[in-house]
Formats: sequence, structure tokens, C-alpha cells
Amino acid sequence: MSASKTMYRSDKLLYYSLLPFAAIVIAAFIMLFAILGYVSAPALRKYGISLFTTTKWAPNEANPSKSVYGLLAPLFGTLVSSAIAVLLALPVTVSIVLVIEEYSPERLRELIGSIIEVMAGLPTIVYGLWGLEVLAPFLREHVYSPLHQLLGFIPLFSCKPITGFNLATAGVLLSIMILPYMVAVARDAYRSIPFTYKEAALTIGATRYEYAKIMMGLAKPGIIAAALLGFGRAAGETVAVALVVGNVPLVSGCLFKPAYTISSLIANQFSMAPLYPYMMSVLFTGGLVLLLIGMAANTVAVIMIARARKRLG
Amino acid sequence: MERDAVRTENLNVWIHGKHVLKNINFRAAVSAITVIMGPSGSGKSTLLRSINRLIEIVPGTKVEGKVYIFGRDIYSDDPYRVRRYVTMVSQTPNPFPHMSIYENVAIGPKLHRLVRSKEELDKIVRWALEKAMLWDEVKDRLNDPPTRLSGGQQQRLCLARALALKPRILLLDEPTANIDPVNARKIEEAIKMLVKEEGITVIFVTHTPAQAVRVADFIAFIYNGELVEYGPAREIALNPRHRLTEMYLRGEIG
Amino acid sequence: MADPRIIKEKIFLVTIFALTILGILPVFHVLAEVIIKGSEAIAKHGLGILTSTSNGILASLVGSAILSILASLLGIPLAIAAGLFVAEFSDTKLAKITRVVSRSLLEVPTVLLGMLVYIIMVVPMGSFSLLAGAIALALVMLPYVMVHVEQAIESVPPIYREAGYSIGMTRAEVLLGVVAGIARRGIATGVLMGFAKAMGETAPLLFTIGAARTTLPCSHSIPLANVLDPGDAVPLMIFQYAQMPQKMYHDMAWAGSLILVAAFLAVFIAVRLLVKEVKT
Repeated sequence: MSASKTMYRSDKLLYYSLLPFAAIVIAAFIMLFAILGYVSAPALRKYGISLFTTTKWAPNEANPSKSVYGLLAPLFGTLVSSAIAVLLALPVTVSIVLVIEEYSPERLRELIGSIIEVMAGLPTIVYGLWGLEVLAPFLREHVYSPLHQLLGFIPLFSCKPITGFNLATAGVLLSIMILPYMVAVARDAYRSIPFTYKEAALTIGATRYEYAKIMMGLAKPGIIAAALLGFGRAAGETVAVALVVGNVPLVSGCLFKPAYTISSLIANQFSMAPLYPYMMSVLFTGGLVLLLIGMAANTVAVIMIARARKRLG
Repeated sequence: MERDAVRTENLNVWIHGKHVLKNINFRAAVSAITVIMGPSGSGKSTLLRSINRLIEIVPGTKVEGKVYIFGRDIYSDDPYRVRRYVTMVSQTPNPFPHMSIYENVAIGPKLHRLVRSKEELDKIVRWALEKAMLWDEVKDRLNDPPTRLSGGQQQRLCLARALALKPRILLLDEPTANIDPVNARKIEEAIKMLVKEEGITVIFVTHTPAQAVRVADFIAFIYNGELVEYGPAREIALNPRHRLTEMYLRGEIG
Repeated sequence: MADPRIIKEKIFLVTIFALTILGILPVFHVLAEVIIKGSEAIAKHGLGILTSTSNGILASLVGSAILSILASLLGIPLAIAAGLFVAEFSDTKLAKITRVVSRSLLEVPTVLLGMLVYIIMVVPMGSFSLLAGAIALALVMLPYVMVHVEQAIESVPPIYREAGYSIGMTRAEVLLGVVAGIARRGIATGVLMGFAKAMGETAPLLFTIGAARTTLPCSHSIPLANVLDPGDAVPLMIFQYAQMPQKMYHDMAWAGSLILVAAFLAVFIAVRLLVKEVKT
């Protein structure tokens, strides 16, 4: 008789009355993949790989079969803006985790924690509006123009920032938006470091800098997980980015050029898509790519976190 | 008619593959206090939890053998039924923190529909609290949360909660291990009275020989998953047959 | 000459504190801008900016209220039941799968959920509707609320389960009467967080509710049937008005932001009070 495997009548009743709800969760997830795949299929069949290697976005009203769609520019914009966001947010994340966990009295820790929670919960559209009206003009005036004048020989800053709506602003805004998620993940990782390691690092007479370096080494998989999850979030963010990225399908090495992201392409083009054959299908292909980016980031992050747990015992 | 309230027959229990109870043939006499005594980790709590099948809520448990309660094999029955007339008080006081003192005692009779009216329920709650020697201390604040009570009072509330079902058998898992000596004595006192006045059968787990001798009518000594010795309390205390029992009573093991 | 290790340490400390301040500064600026520009807009145009459908954002406010409530009615019971399942039957395969799936749903870009509902609801029904938007929002809330429910259930010490079982309670009675009862504030926290999430989301509404901004959803005589009407929501209004050239639209966007942020902060404070009560 194996007790844990046996369920009695009343247990089964509970199990089977809650089961349909769990089934709905799983069904929703499967349906998401199925629908995205199903609607994407015609575009993938028609355009094949060129969908991801060309930048031209030219719906043709008179002759729909001559419409040309390329997702390379939005894909490029999504990857680059998300990468900028993670690169900017990472040092800040590490600093905040150290300040909260090591160098703050109880009250300050709670205060910073609350502020981070407000940051995480604030509607993304509010960040978007602020990005559009405040951040973009500010960055153009006080950051991009000086950078271009002083460091214009570097390709990244080589173009004139005509407006503030470009890849760089999308990256900066996204870094602010993903920061609280990254802090939450990294903080969990930091807290899971067993006390004995902290003690050991202190007893060898490490300075605070050396101590932090040791701790960050131990929390590394968790920090990487935070970066990955942050990247996934940034890639999927839609409306805030759509307001600041400039919405021009360009692939350029200069950060001050307007750009597009997959999600902002979807947000802007979706309402027109039913009018053009294949456009809807192309947009769903973009959505499928976003989903795969998000799932990949999530899966690797989960594996990193599991590995960190195992390593630290 | 069975003389024994509880009888186990070649009871074996494995938890995650570890053999924690080995061929136990245990008995508990009707309307008496049987103490299961042994050092920590000896398997006495597991034995106690085999009697109300609480052992089964721990995943990875395997039970073999028979447990008869008043002659009936409980493992061929619904596990929830046995716990209505074999109730238990745990080691750590665990009154439900989201219910009032009153509700904590009333929940059992209410769920199992032992009462038909509010008056009847009130009567049972009062009876249970009186039997747990707590009534006088809480009668004016029955609607308070139990978290306002001291640890010892909380444990007596748990006793009252277990009594409110009018169980035929009461299981106690080191009920005084985490509370102060004054409250511990009160609980011991309350339990002796219950056996005398209500005829309840009590099985009491403890790891202190002194307490065993103080409360027991019968003592079962468990060591390393085996039932070493069983007999009337006086015999075991004064004249243990087994060397291990003697050493344990002298405080040399455990 | 000072020890270089100590100098390094000083530089390090200054850097991390500076970066921390840099990291949390923007949110204050966002909040300040919203409060200033939002109240300026209301002062300039009067309360009509909130209470009119023609020169104000009334339809968006009404739509947001309906959407958040409807999404909660759909999503919260589902999330609680699924969360209970995952936490209670955590050793079963189905619960493990559900847990992994819900964590993945958490990372799905919310715009995709809007696309999903567009295909499965808007297209077959032939029109945008508040109901379609609410379903998309319910899917957004679902994994958030589930995580909170699971954590709340799992944080209940096992001694209370044991207490329930030892007085003959069934598994359902222990789960619903004891464990969920003790965890009720944690669950309420999750519910509020989910509500706030639904209130602030924009992307799932882009292709589902239809942005009907000049009329209120009341074309049907049965009040409940009006959820089949198209409608609007504050976040969607902000997104679209922010892209208009005219100042008036920007004012409405800022006024909407002020209301949105105020509602979010109210929920946030409610959550704080709940959590505090749990601790004491």
C-alpha cells in the first residue's frame, strides 16, 4: 500500500473539481502557440526566410501579391533596444541589490523596496507618455547632442540626433522599466547565498569591495537569470516603446536613428492588417518570434536559477 | 468484545525507503492511559500517527500490517472517518489563527454535524473547554483570536478542540514538550480526569521517563523502530525486563 | 599614502550608492510629471475633461472600470482555483506542468494575448467588445494572481494542516477552511495586484476593445449585454492621444495618467496595509 499515491474518495473530489481550472491555464498556453503558429503559416510559406533577412515594408494596395514585408529591421530594433536596456540596467541592479542587502538600515531597505515595487507596478503606458514628452526631448538636448559633438567619430554616435525618438531612447526607457524585475530576481539570488559563505568572506578580512566581488561571484547565475528575464520583458514591451522608438524600419549602426521593434510594429500596423493580404500573417510571425524570444529567455533563466540553487546547496 | 481499544499487528512503516517501524505489535487498553515512551527519532510519533492514519499525509510513506481500533481494521476504511473518533493533539500548539477561541472548539462538531442547534454547540464547546481546564480563563473572551493566549493556554485549547468531537480515543504527541511546567501539569491533570470521568482511551507519547511514570497506566517502550517492552506502568518502572528499558529509565540513553 | 584597497572600497561604495539613486530617481520624476501635468490639464479644462464623452475622457474611465471588474470576475476565480490546485497537489504531474506553464505565461508579452483574443473572439464575433478585452486582461492577470495564491498557500506552516486532519477534516476542508483561511490575506494581496495589473495594461486592448471613445457602452437594454459593445480604456486612450499633434489630446492623456496613477497608488497602499496586518 503506497499511501502517497493513493487518493481517497473525498481527495479525488477535490482534485477533480480543481483540475478543470488548471486545464484552462494549460489550454490557454497551448492555444496561444497554436494560434500564433497557425496564423503565421501563410506568411512563412510565401516569404520564407526572406521575412527575416529583408527590411522593406511595402504593402501594395493595388496589387496585393506584390506586397513585400521584411521583419529584419524590427527584429534588429527589438534585440538592440533590449540589449541596451539590459546593459544599462545591470550595473544599477547589482548596486541596488548590494545597497539593500548589505548597506542599508532596516528602514531604508524597506523604503527602497517599496519604491522598487511602485516602479514595477506603475502602468507601462505612463512610462511611455513620460518617455515621449519628457525623456526623449531631455536626452536629445543633454545627452545625444553632446555625445554626437564630442564622440561623433564613434559609429554608434555618428549620426545627428534629429529627434529624441530613436533606438537609444527606447533602450533607456526600457532599462528603467525592467529594472524592478531584474532587482527582484537578482535579490532572490543574492538572498539564497548561504550565510556561511558570507561569514567566510568576512573572516578573511575582505574589504567591502572585495566582499561584494565574492558575493557577486556566488550570485552570478542569478544575476544572469535577472538579465535574461529583463531582456525578455524588454523585448515584449509594446506601447511605451512604440511611443519613443521612432517607428521607422531602419537597420543602422547609429543609436540616434529612429528604429522599429516587433511589438511596436504590431501595435502600429495591426489595425491596417486586415486590409492587406498576408500582412496579418506577417505580424503574427513577428508575434511568434517574440514568444520564442520570451520563452527562450525564461527557460534559460529557470535553468540558471536551478543550477545556482544546486551549486549553493 | 475486544479488551484493547487499539491493537497493531506486525505494523511496518517506511518513510522514503527508511524502515522506521519494525513489526510493531502494540496494544492500548480501553479507558486507560498508555504511554509510548522512547528517545527522539525512535519512531514513537510515527506509531502514534499510524493509529489515526495521519502518517499518510506525508508523501513517500509506506505502511504494512494491520491496525485494529475496537476490533476494526482501519486501513480498509476511509482515512478521514477514523480521525473523527480518534483525535489528536500535536506537539506544537496549533490553534487555527484565523478563527476565534470559540470557533476553534466548535469547528469539529460543526463540520461533522454532531449538533443540531446553537445551544447544543455552545454546550459542547463549554464542556470541551471545561474538560481541558481552560473554561475559566477564556469564558469572557471566547471571540478573541487564540493568538492572544499563552502557549500553554493555546495547547489546552487544542486539547479542547480535539475533545469537542467526543472522541473515543485521544492521541497526544508530546503535548507538553513546548510549554511551561505549570501548564504541563494542568494538561496531565486534565487527561487523567478525562480517563476517569469520561472513559476515554488515551495514548500519550513522551520522551521523558519521569512524565511517562507520572501519567501512565501502561507503558510501551520504543527504541530504534522496535517495540522493546510493553506492560503495566508500575511493572515497567520498577522492574523492567529489558536492559535497554532500564538504561532509558535511568537516563543513560536518549 | 592611503591603502589602495581602502581607496578602492571608497570608490566602490560611492559608485553603488550613486547608481542606486540614479536607478530610483526616474520613478519620482515620472510621478511628479504625472501629478503636475495631470492637475494642470484638469485645472485648465475644468472637470469636464473627466466627465464628458465629447471633450473629455469619460468613456475611457467607464470602460476601464468595466474592464478591470469584468477581467477580475473572470480571471480571479480561475487563478485562485488553479493556484490552489498547483499548491495542494504539488506532487502530481499535472500540477507540476501547470506551474511551469503559469510561470511561462508570466513572461509572455501581453500584446500577444491581445492577438490571441482577437483571433478567437473578435474575428468570430465580428466586432470588438469590452468582453474580448476583459478576457485578454484576465489572461494577463492569471499567472500573477496564481503565483501569489501559491506562495500564500505554501507559506502556511504544516502544523495547521496536521491540526485539521487530526480532528477528522477532509482534504478539501483542510485546504479551503484552514489553509486558505490562514492564507487569506496573502491571497487578497494577489487579487489586488492582479486588479492593478489589469487596470494598467494597454497592449492586450489594442486589438480587442475597439477604442469607442465618444459613446458609452449602453446600446443594449439589458445592462449586462453592453459588455458586448466596443469600449475604451484609459491606457489605450493615453497611447493614442499621446501620438496626436494637438495639445488638447495631450492634456487628456495626462489627466488620464493622473487618474490611472492615483488608482494604482490606492491599490498599492491597500496591499501594503494588508501585508502589514499579516506581519503583526
